[in-house]
Amino acid sequence: MTDYEALIRLLTESNVEFIIVGGAAATAHGSARLTEDLDIVYARSSENVARLVSALRPYQPYPRGAVPGLPFQWTERTIINGLNFTLITSIGAIDLFGELIGGGGFADLLPDCLELKLFGTSCLCLSLERLIQVKRAAGRPKDLEAIAELELLLAAQRPER
Amino acid sequence: MTKLPASLEPDPVVEVYKKDIDFSLNLENLRLTVEERFKKLMALQRFAEELRRADKKRLRDDRL
Repeated sequence: MTDYEALIRLLTESNVEFIIVGGAAATAHGSARLTEDLDIVYARSSENVARLVSALRPYQPYPRGAVPGLPFQWTERTIINGLNFTLITSIGAIDLFGELIGGGGFADLLPDCLELKLFGTSCLCLSLERLIQVKRAAGRPKDLEAIAELELLLAAQRPER
Repeated sequence: MTKLPASLEPDPVVEVYKKDIDFSLNLENLRLTVEERFKKLMALQRFAEELRRADKKRLRDDRL
């Protein structure tokens, strides 16, 4: 099980700059669909990457679904040389995105974020409208039902004109 | 058809999917705080894991 409370508290208390996106953001907006990981977009500055690496290190991040024993090293260089990472840790599954298709990076998404007061901390979550745009841009057939649900949630929030 | 902002033109395929969504579950979630929604998600994950474990056991027992 992914311990959302532990992961979100860990990242915020470590001053990692991140935005909750994907299925967890959908949950925050009222989705009833099951998601099993925490998707975040992280800022790619060297300082932030250092904070992210240091925060997750005690929880042994490793590529999710990969065979054990790969020469995977959880270092700042690994993050800088890569972009997006699908990881399992001892406190749950977390996907790190340097960029989202159709959404860009942390700074591009920042204007479309909401601040959530969650688990005694404060963190950023992608707005419902932007989340739908990003999911549409990804163009994955598996997202169609999720997009439909998110659009219904958006319509429920918008007063009739 | 649901009312969407101008930036989100209705997609005919997505519109078809909307017909099958049980929105009463979402209305229930909207009555919760965001933190309660995450706690509910974690409970659902635990349930899904228990179902998977039970199914694995059933398959193992069937082979014996």
